[in-house]
Amino acid sequence: MVQDGDYVAVFNSIHRVMKAEKILKQKKLAIMLIPVPRALQSDCGLAIRYDSALRNEVERVLAEEGFLPAELYVKQHGEYVKVTT
Amino acid sequence: MKTIDCRNMACPQPVVLVKRALEENPGESLTVLVDSGAPRENVTRFATNRGFLVAETPMGVGFSLVVSGKAGSIEIAETVAPGAKGKTVMLVGSDRLGDGPEELGRLLMKNFMITLLDINELPDSIFFINTGVLLTTEGSEIAEVLEKLENMGCEILSCGVCLDFFHRKDKLAAGSVTNMFTIAEGMLKAQSVIRL
Repeated sequence: MVQDGDYVAVFNSIHRVMKAEKILKQKKLAIMLIPVPRALQSDCGLAIRYDSALRNEVERVLAEEGFLPAELYVKQHGEYVKVTT
Repeated sequence: MKTIDCRNMACPQPVVLVKRALEENPGESLTVLVDSGAPRENVTRFATNRGFLVAETPMGVGFSLVVSGKAGSIEIAETVAPGAKGKTVMLVGSDRLGDGPEELGRLLMKNFMITLLDINELPDSIFFINTGVLLTTEGSEIAEVLEKLENMGCEILSCGVCLDFFHRKDKLAAGSVTNMFTIAEGMLKAQSVIRL
């Protein structure tokens, strides 16, 4: 589900991640709600995946609405690398 | 040795035909002619995941794959009683998982199907009935996921009556259409039925 170069935004609450999904879908952004990959730990178990080309737009919208994720990762060579924002 | 020609076939048809041929002729080797790219990769992955050996030879157009059983796998096939083939089928009777808020149920179902992609033990078939067919048709967020599952050897079958009821007969986005006979027989013959 997650390809190299994709971003995975992890939220710390199911309500936050569902709200974030709704906000991004209203903006017609091609994101997908996915189970948090096994390699990552999360209390909530859900994450939002998006393509690197959408990164700026997705993060701008989430910041505007006050729904920035708890943690952000990018998949590189099959590994999840934490992105510090 | 039986040969099946899967060239010029769209995915997941090659995997479906290979699966059927291996089940119908247990213990026999099989030659499969495939196009390069996705069909070649999907058939090879499907067979090796199930413990078969795959030897490939490039041809003028595409590849020839010889799929043969590992020592031991033939014995296992023979010791299974007729009728109890050890199949696992899953029955998806709704587009939601569990009782409770609709939104949460839909999210959990989507999540469950995506998670199956990371699990080695897949059901042999998944039957989608009632609102379950909303998952296999246009507009479903997991059509792509179901297509991947089918490429991994898991049959994705939607109830024809249900597709008709929801006016989605010509909107199938993953798997194929089936009827109640196949669904009932599939469940009765299976070793285990998982109802979602």
